[in-house]
Amino acid sequence: MDASYLDLLMAQEEGASEAEGAGIEGGGGGIWVVADVVGGVVAPVTMEALGAARTLADSLGAYVYGVLLGEEVTDLAPTLYQAGADDVRVADHRALARFALAPYLEVLFDLIEAEQPEVVIFGATSQGHELAARLAQRTGGGLVEHVVAATLDEATRTVQCAFPVYGGEFFQVVACPEARPQFFTIEPGAFSTPFLDPYRRGEPTMLDVEPVASPVRVVGPAEGFEPPSVPLSQAPVIVAAGRQAVDIDLVKQLAVALGGQVAGDRGARDAGWIGPEQIVDVRGVKVSPDVYVAVGIRGDTFHNAAIEGARYIVAIHPDPDAPIFQVADLCVEADPRDVLPAVVELLTDS
Amino acid sequence: MFINREEYLLQPADRCALEAALRIKDAARSQEMPDIEVVALPRTPLPDDDVLRQALCTGADRAVYLTGAGLQDADDAVMARVLAAAVGRLGGADLVLAGATTLDSGQGQLGLRLAEALGSPQIVGAWTVETADGCVQAVLKDGTGYVTVEADLPAVVTMLPGTLKLRYPDGVRLIDVYRAPDAVEHWDVSDLVDEEMLRSLLKERGRDFPPERERGVRVSGTSEEMAQALADALRQRVRA
Repeated sequence: MDASYLDLLMAQEEGASEAEGAGIEGGGGGIWVVADVVGGVVAPVTMEALGAARTLADSLGAYVYGVLLGEEVTDLAPTLYQAGADDVRVADHRALARFALAPYLEVLFDLIEAEQPEVVIFGATSQGHELAARLAQRTGGGLVEHVVAATLDEATRTVQCAFPVYGGEFFQVVACPEARPQFFTIEPGAFSTPFLDPYRRGEPTMLDVEPVASPVRVVGPAEGFEPPSVPLSQAPVIVAAGRQAVDIDLVKQLAVALGGQVAGDRGARDAGWIGPEQIVDVRGVKVSPDVYVAVGIRGDTFHNAAIEGARYIVAIHPDPDAPIFQVADLCVEADPRDVLPAVVELLTDS
Repeated sequence: MFINREEYLLQPADRCALEAALRIKDAARSQEMPDIEVVALPRTPLPDDDVLRQALCTGADRAVYLTGAGLQDADDAVMARVLAAAVGRLGGADLVLAGATTLDSGQGQLGLRLAEALGSPQIVGAWTVETADGCVQAVLKDGTGYVTVEADLPAVVTMLPGTLKLRYPDGVRLIDVYRAPDAVEHWDVSDLVDEEMLRSLLKERGRDFPPERERGVRVSGTSEEMAQALADALRQRVRA
C-alpha cells in the first residue's frame, strides 16, 4: 500500500500545529486554570479543574493553560501538563510564598490583560474566591462561584454553569454570554480527576514578578480562639445533638465511643449545649463525614442540606414523621435516652 | 457602613456584619471618640424597604433603599458598581462591612467586587472586627488556628455567618421606625450610575434538580434490639 499521501497529510498537520503552537506562545484566548498549591503539591481541586478545562477546550478547539504562582513551584509544572494543560505559566518568586491578594492579583491581572483568556477557572477555595471576584470586577468579567457542573454552548462559546442553591435543594444554571473572560470557581469533588498522561510534557513560560506589598498585614495568632483539633467540616465521624436528645452527656459519650466530634443543630445551640462553630446548618458548618449520627435532631431543610455530603447518616428520633428520616440511611424511631446508654455500653465493650 | 441583604430577611452573615458595625459604634462612644454613623444599604434589589427598617430598628443610623427600573435583574457585578457609587454619594466610608456569603446561593463575590470597585483592601471571612488608630483588625481562620490581621482604613471586611449574634431591636426605636414613612431614604439608581452600567453579566439559563435520595432502613423492635442493631451498624461503618 502506498502511504506517501499519509506522510504528506501528517507533514501538513504538523505545520498547522506549529503555527498554532506559536499562538500558544503569544497567548490569545484559551481556557485557564489557576492552580492552588497546598503543602508543596498541586491541590486536588486544581487537577479536577484541569479535567473540566480539558473537556471544555476540546469542544471549543481551544488550548488549556495552567497558571502556577508561589515560591519554588516550577517543579510542579509537569503535573499540570500531565493533567491536561497545553502550556503552563509560572510565577515563581519569594514574594508569592504565602498567598496574599495584592501580589497574586497583580501578576494575574497583567497576564489576563496581555493574553485575554476566554475562561478562567479557580478552585472554590479561599484563594480562588478572593482572586476570582477581584479579577472579575477589574476585568469586567462574569463570575459564577461553587460550580458543580459545566456545559458548553458552542455557538456562543459560552460556558453554562450550575451551582447549588439552598445547599443543593436545586441547581441554578447561569451563563455569561456577553462579557469575557468568564470566571468560575469549581467546588472540590464536583468534577472528576483526569488521568495523568506521562507523555504530556512541555516547557513552562516563566513570568516576571514585581513584588507588591500586601495592604493586609498579619499581626499574629488570635488570642481567645481555641480551634478544634480537626475542623468539623473535615471530621470523619460526627455525633450531632438536637432538642430531642435531651441529655447532652449521652451524646458526648457516644462521640467518645466512636472517636467522633460533637456538633448539633440550631436547637442544640439554643439549649447552650454547643458553640456557634459546632452548628451543622447551611448557615453554619456544612459537613461531609463518613458517619453522621443525628441524635434527637428533627431535621429542617437547612440542617438536612448541610449533611448531604455525609456518606452514612444515622437518625435517632421519637417522631416517625421527623424529616431527618427522609435523608437518613439508618432510621431509629426511639427516644435517644432509651437506646443510647446501651449503644454506648456495647461500643465501649467492643 | 454596612451592606445588608435581601428580599425577605436579614441574611445570617449580614446580621453579623450589622452587629459588628454596631459594636464598633458602641466602642467609639464608650471611648468618647467621634460618633460613628452606621448606614445600611441593600446588597440585592429589594421589593420593599422592610429589611432596611429592621436594620434601623437594631441601631443603624441611616438606611438607603435603592430603586430604579434597571435594578430588578442586577447581579453582583452591577450591585458592586451601584453600591460603590452610593458610597461615593454618602461621602465615602471608612469601613464597609458585608456578609461573606449568602444563605440561598452561597455566592460571596459582592463584598470583594465592591472592594475592587472602591479600590480598598479586603479582609475576607472575619470572625470579629474592631477598629483603632485608623486601622481595622479582624480575626480570621488560618488553617487549624486563628490569626489577627489588620489593614489601613478605608477597607472592606466580609463577616462569616454565625460569628456574632445580632442584638434585639429597641422597642421604642422599633415603633418610631415603623411609624415614620420616611425613616428609610429612597435613592433612584439612575442618579448613581449610567444605564449602561446596569447591564447584568450573568443570565439565568434554568434550573436542575438533584436525584431523590433513597430512603434508609428502619430499625424496629425493643430498645435493646434497636441498640444492638445501631451499635452493630456504627461499629461496622466507623471501622470501615
